[in-house]
Amino acid sequence: MAEVKVASEITGSVWKIVANIGDKVVEEDTLIILESMKMEIPILAPEAGTVKEIRVKEGEPISEGDVAVILEK
Amino acid sequence: MSVDAKERPLTPATEPFAEPLAELDRQRARALQMGGAEKLAKRKAEGTLNARERLDHLLDAGTFKESGLLARSARPEARAKTPADGKVAGFGKIDGRWVGIVSNDFTVMGASSAAINGKKMKHIKDVSTQRGMPLVFLGESTGARMPDRMGAIGRSILGQDRYEYRRMRETPWVTAQLGDCYGSSTWYACMADYVVMRKGATMAVASSRVTSLAISQPVDKEDLGGWKLHTAISGLVDVAVDTDQQALDLAKKFLSYLPSHSNQAPPTYPVPEGSDEPIKDILKLVPESRTQVYDMRRVIKTIADKDSVFELKPGFGRAVVTALARLDGRTVGFIGNNPMFKGGAVDPDGCAKVTGFLVLCDSFNIPIVMLVDVPGFLIGIEGERRGAPGKIINWMNALALCTVPKISVILRKSYGQAYLNMGGGRNSDEVALWPTADLGFMDPRTGVNVVYGIREEDDPALFKQKVEELSRDTSAWDLAVLYEAQEVLDPRDTRQYLIDMIEVHRLRMTNCVGEHLMRTWPTSFG
Repeated sequence: MAEVKVASEITGSVWKIVANIGDKVVEEDTLIILESMKMEIPILAPEAGTVKEIRVKEGEPISEGDVAVILEK
Repeated sequence: MSVDAKERPLTPATEPFAEPLAELDRQRARALQMGGAEKLAKRKAEGTLNARERLDHLLDAGTFKESGLLARSARPEARAKTPADGKVAGFGKIDGRWVGIVSNDFTVMGASSAAINGKKMKHIKDVSTQRGMPLVFLGESTGARMPDRMGAIGRSILGQDRYEYRRMRETPWVTAQLGDCYGSSTWYACMADYVVMRKGATMAVASSRVTSLAISQPVDKEDLGGWKLHTAISGLVDVAVDTDQQALDLAKKFLSYLPSHSNQAPPTYPVPEGSDEPIKDILKLVPESRTQVYDMRRVIKTIADKDSVFELKPGFGRAVVTALARLDGRTVGFIGNNPMFKGGAVDPDGCAKVTGFLVLCDSFNIPIVMLVDVPGFLIGIEGERRGAPGKIINWMNALALCTVPKISVILRKSYGQAYLNMGGGRNSDEVALWPTADLGFMDPRTGVNVVYGIREEDDPALFKQKVEELSRDTSAWDLAVLYEAQEVLDPRDTRQYLIDMIEVHRLRMTNCVGEHLMRTWPTSFG
């Protein structure tokens, strides 16, 4: 099973965790919503897979490049 | 080939020309065997088209006029194994319009570049650019042929065309990368206006084997030049697909938006039925609140003619969308900020993508539509290290050099310098606003901190008062009063407004042909 690391493209804070471990997602499904630049900006699934791990918590700061979710293909 | 020998009865041996014609048939048949049955069968088993099957798929049936079928290697000892010298070349029609085309035949010495196939490529390129036809290059080659290119004799055949890498954008160039692409296949892709890649193909300066030897460590082909690298990081490839056929179909589709040459308007198409319907629902697509995001690609699809949107570089610099599309049957180039990615804050990749797109549109007489919802440029140390200011100003310079019509519609935010880059002020021919337009220099909440040094947590009441003060004079109504926008639109009228304004600004004096001031600009800005 290949893993896909899904990182944040932007610095901000974790506003809402939308995905649950075990969810099957398709490309561009919203996994996490960040608050950044006064906006609610989603972290999207780059490809289809199953959510294996969520590495962030709501309210936490997150930096560009930080891995937020791991998908399993 | 231009004459199908199989369809003509053999000339009886007693007739004039009998022997030379029989020899012609033999030579043609040998050339059409390409690299041999075994290699061709192996490709077929792998599901990859060969060089001639690719031409059959891409070109209108029966239109291919081959140039140099009987050409072979200049080296006598390699002559027998070099049918067409590894690059199938000629002219043919796509959707009824002539193109010049080179299809690399990997079964012949890896389609490596050598003296004679170099002459073939030069001829097709020269004829295409001088006679006003698009040039299509189907890449799959190992690079320079050895030992042809070694030593002093190698030097004497290399670089004999001083204009080989001079791109003047007389005609559109398209490349499909369909296998291992090193050397000329890579260079021609980097000079092209559109590059599509089959997943599994590789594009790099040198092969993974050569690279591995040079740096004394293993190098993975996909890491070196696979589709993920080129569509998301280098930006040298527009889009990647699964099969040869899909790649060729996209090359064909790209050309459908472009004129055959720069002294012509792009072709027009009938407007599909139902094209005026989706815009009626646009209010559901874009949230009124500027804190919520949406996907600008859906907005473009709603505005453009039905099923006409063709996005370029969708995986690169995603905070801004660049797409060819049609409005009322005519080609337009859409540039739209996409809040879905990085909130629409444009990074250096996005800047490079827009600059290249402006050069493309202006060089081929394609009007530009900007759909604006931009919080500014993405600021930060990483961007500065990558030369963000230079890329922002490249974009600005390109916009100023554009001579095709430019229409800008501001949907929501348009802050800072990005306001100008997205056509604000007199940087486009017409500016229209949605009533939700917000045109401050920066987000007012950030502005209060910068201007007054007040943070919300320090004094919420004063902070709120100052935010309200700074939010004044930034509305659509304020700009409209000063005639900084020529129209405030009901969003549902956006499609018709754009159709009307592109018609108003049509370049009547020059038959829709612009000045092409960027025709000599580089072909990649990454």
